Amino acid sequence: MLNIGEKLFKWIIKLLTFLSILLLAFIVIFIFNESFVFFKEVPIWKFIMGRSWNPLGPAENLSIFPIILGTIYVSIVGICISLPLGVGIAVILSTYTKDRVKSFIRGVIDVLAGIPSVVYGFIGLLVVVKFFEVRFSFAAGESVLAGGIVLSVMVLPFIVSTCAESMDKIYEEYSQASQALGVSKSYMIRNIILPASKRSIIASLVLALGRGMGETMATMMVIGNAPIMPKLFGKTQTIPSLIALEMGMAEVGSLHYHGLFAAGFVLMIMLLLVNVLIYFIKAKMDI
Amino acid sequence: MKKRITILLCLLLAFSLIVVGCSNQETPSTENGEVAEEVEENEDFKAQITFSGSSTLAPVISAIATDFIEEYSAWNNVDSSFPEKDIIIYVSAGGSGAGAKAVVEGTSDFGMLSREIKDEEKEKIADMNAFKLGVDALTVSINPENPLHTIKDDLSSDEIRKIFSGEYKYWDEVDSSLPHEEIVVVIRDIGGGAHGVFQDAVMGDTQVREDAIQAPSMGALVAKIMENKNAIGYASFGMVNQNEGKLIPLKVDGIEPTKENIVNGSYKISRPLIVVKSGELTPSQQAFMDVIMSEKGSQIIEDMGYVPAN
Repeated sequence: MLNIGEKLFKWIIKLLTFLSILLLAFIVIFIFNESFVFFKEVPIWKFIMGRSWNPLGPAENLSIFPIILGTIYVSIVGICISLPLGVGIAVILSTYTKDRVKSFIRGVIDVLAGIPSVVYGFIGLLVVVKFFEVRFSFAAGESVLAGGIVLSVMVLPFIVSTCAESMDKIYEEYSQASQALGVSKSYMIRNIILPASKRSIIASLVLALGRGMGETMATMMVIGNAPIMPKLFGKTQTIPSLIALEMGMAEVGSLHYHGLFAAGFVLMIMLLLVNVLIYFIKAKMDI
Repeated sequence: MKKRITILLCLLLAFSLIVVGCSNQETPSTENGEVAEEVEENEDFKAQITFSGSSTLAPVISAIATDFIEEYSAWNNVDSSFPEKDIIIYVSAGGSGAGAKAVVEGTSDFGMLSREIKDEEKEKIADMNAFKLGVDALTVSINPENPLHTIKDDLSSDEIRKIFSGEYKYWDEVDSSLPHEEIVVVIRDIGGGAHGVFQDAVMGDTQVREDAIQAPSMGALVAKIMENKNAIGYASFGMVNQNEGKLIPLKVDGIEPTKENIVNGSYKISRPLIVVKSGELTPSQQAFMDVIMSEKGSQIIEDMGYVPAN
């Protein structure tokens, strides 16, 4: 009796696990299937390397090179702003603060991750974009920089939590030894903690990159959505914002519709690569 | 102990499956005479109506539906021959294309479109029923701080074309007395319904400048014009009425976007608001559609800033 129950339980668990893997497979197959129609019309390298996106024109006008660049550019600007901030916060949290203060600050930063992205987009539109227009008299404040600033706040909690975790461990391991040697705390941070947590900083960077590239709503509201070559102070478009913007209006079965799926496919491949990268960095990281 | 709970849970799961299986088999056997008839009628009757499509039309249908539900609450209050079931009307916005798609795929009863129905769509929708609820016009609007409207309140199609295509980059190229400031063109997504109307009516074969801001919704487009003093865009007539004074609509080719001009067709940048359905309407759907087409429905359409068709 007990044995049968055990077996049954094992099988149910196996089935559920299998289902979740199947789910991922279905999504990948579905998106590939929908974009395959498009790739038969337009070769994939032309789609990736072409310079113009115009859903009203002929098929060769559907290509996303500027949009891919925009996707990466906005995320990188965001990371450039938030990486120094995030690493700094992580260092302070794991070395200078006491437990109670630490958990309070960690909590506050984690709340940042829980704010819906529309809210970020809204604040970005009313504060960041408006700021550029009023202070720097930009014709339009929508820009790569505005998107990067909004994203930097959104990815900050990911960077802080990834870095602080390993810095905590390193600090515990070496604090007694360095105290015994009588070196100052800042010396310890510069020469032990930062070099030793190099990997986790890189891991957090890649994690933030993946998060930033997939962000839709917040970036869509502040980057202007113009499919042109991205410049720091110019408008741009990212793949998620392109899909969110145009999918509702695209006629089902049209080349435009399949083109959007193809863009989604490209984004998925990019994010998959980022995730594989995270996996390998994490696998080597266990200090 | 834990193992026992697991076994118990597994048995419970299996047992519940058996029970579910039984209940399906049992139902037909207990249905006799009058009871069975009433049940059948009930099952045929659709208490739920779903709309999806144009984000312009969605708030209008929602408002009418809310009114309708508040007034009647259950279907038997609408018509005594209907069973006593709560009225449920779902309205979801996802763009005109999504509306047509939902009707083709049968995922929703009605599709809302804020543009003419394309020929390809007419082919795909099996015996299509279309209802024209009203007309929405796109006004070429600017920020009140822009001195353009004090100099001249009229732009010709040609000037609009030059502004939107990027031939005029600065306001002083439109009129020399205007400041030398960059024109910020705000549009909706190029593949979308609203842009299609504008492209057909004004732009023709000319392309809109590539670096125009594509707003994710009509609300965002209007907000951008209200926020940015150098912006120009095609705000919908309804939105302009709702935000009177915060943005200034201009005449096009000397014709002012007024209700009369839009209805009689002399104002050219306009689009119809249509609800489509594949196949005949069920009695409940007909009842709701009658309300939409009634005077009260038209009043709501007008209150939302559009021009009702009847």
